Amino acid sequence: MIELKQNRLNFSFPEVSPDARLTIEFQRTLRIPDDDQTYPLPPGLGKFPLEHVDDYASRVPERWVQRGGVMLPMYQAEALWINFNFHYVQDRESPYPFAVKISAGKIDAVTGENWDEQLHRKPQDYVVIPRQPWLDGYCIRRGVIRQFVAMPLGAGYSAEEQITGEAEHGGLQIKVFPMRRKAFERRFPVVRKRRMMRSRRCFPEEAPLEALFARKVDSMALAPGGQMSQEIYDDEFPFHEWCHKTSSRCFVHLVNTEVWRGITGKKPPTKPPKARDYTNAGLPWFDYYDERPAVPGQEKLSNLQSVAELAEEKRQNVLPENDPVDPQNVVGLRKGMRLGQVREGCF
Amino acid sequence: MAAEFGDYVRKCREKKRAQSADFSLRKLAQRVGIEPSYLSKVERGQESPPSEATISSLAKELDEDPDVLLALAGKVSSDLQKIIRKRPKLFAQLIREMKNMPNHAVVRVVREVRDGDW
Repeated sequence: MIELKQNRLNFSFPEVSPDARLTIEFQRTLRIPDDDQTYPLPPGLGKFPLEHVDDYASRVPERWVQRGGVMLPMYQAEALWINFNFHYVQDRESPYPFAVKISAGKIDAVTGENWDEQLHRKPQDYVVIPRQPWLDGYCIRRGVIRQFVAMPLGAGYSAEEQITGEAEHGGLQIKVFPMRRKAFERRFPVVRKRRMMRSRRCFPEEAPLEALFARKVDSMALAPGGQMSQEIYDDEFPFHEWCHKTSSRCFVHLVNTEVWRGITGKKPPTKPPKARDYTNAGLPWFDYYDERPAVPGQEKLSNLQSVAELAEEKRQNVLPENDPVDPQNVVGLRKGMRLGQVREGCF
Repeated sequence: MAAEFGDYVRKCREKKRAQSADFSLRKLAQRVGIEPSYLSKVERGQESPPSEATISSLAKELDEDPDVLLALAGKVSSDLQKIIRKRPKLFAQLIREMKNMPNHAVVRVVREVRDGDW
């Protein structure tokens, strides 16, 4: 089952285990420059607001109501990352593991294949929680993703439109599979250890800003933006340990910010800062270290053209403020660091 | 009531204290804005549980559910009271009907994000 609480999607599987709980939120962030460089991880700038589509059924397209799920507002060319907050099972000193399929416009963000209800191992078309703390975009090659950037559905920029030639779905699709209870309890017996540290700086939500209103519901889709260093970690568990028959899924509709208030009556968030202003202010970017193997990128995604490349072909200016930046303040985060442990830097 | 609440808070704090010195009586009391001697008495059941705001702060510090701590203290959070006051008859009936239901059945009553036809 999925509940929407405090702008988070809470997935739980009481029929599998009371510990099988996972929280997913969508973080606002800087749009990294879409150029030849590969950037470190940008910060989280607060959660996107989320609303039940059913609560606004009379003001959204009928197709959205048919799909169900939730919706969130995005500015054109705004970026997003997905944060996986796992539930730590104290007496086993381990989070409950999940396999999570993420698609944008029903194109799998890890493989580029069309949406499919099942998990697949070869090639792996899902991320494994808690190994994967977040996902910022499409996996284009081992250790590199292209950032999720919102563009109007139908403008031709989204991965969905580039791969299928159709502008039908847009949005984000998420499906969560828990690990089998027996497998979890066997792998993680009751022990007592110290808690691990894991944090990517997330700023609190900012106050909403006045936004324009337009009586038109524009669906947004996620297009491949600038390149970022991020591994999609290989599944370390045997494939049969996932509950293939127990899952929950959610369609996340993306609404153009300009019409968000028209639908919900609520103010949308302000525009996020520009990467250049953020960097010049000396605020931190992030690098995440984990030595575990990562999956390679698949051809369908590595062949995608970025928004900037397509915009140049189309002679459109859809990415204002796309100048390169040079992040100097890069904070290293390493999987498995204990609270209070001193991090080894570069010297 | 006071003893049950105090005992629960003490156990939670001592569990945290085993991992971090930040959860000494003094430091925790300081963070939630009360005197250490008062927190000590609350933990021993010699004082009534503190206000809703303090219980919520304690819950936040101890990574506990504020509703659980409030219930142990014999209180109902003000936001829940507000919800019940809006439709008192309906919620009273609902709670009475649910009192013997197993947990898995109760959690099914909460509002789920609806999945539709993609």
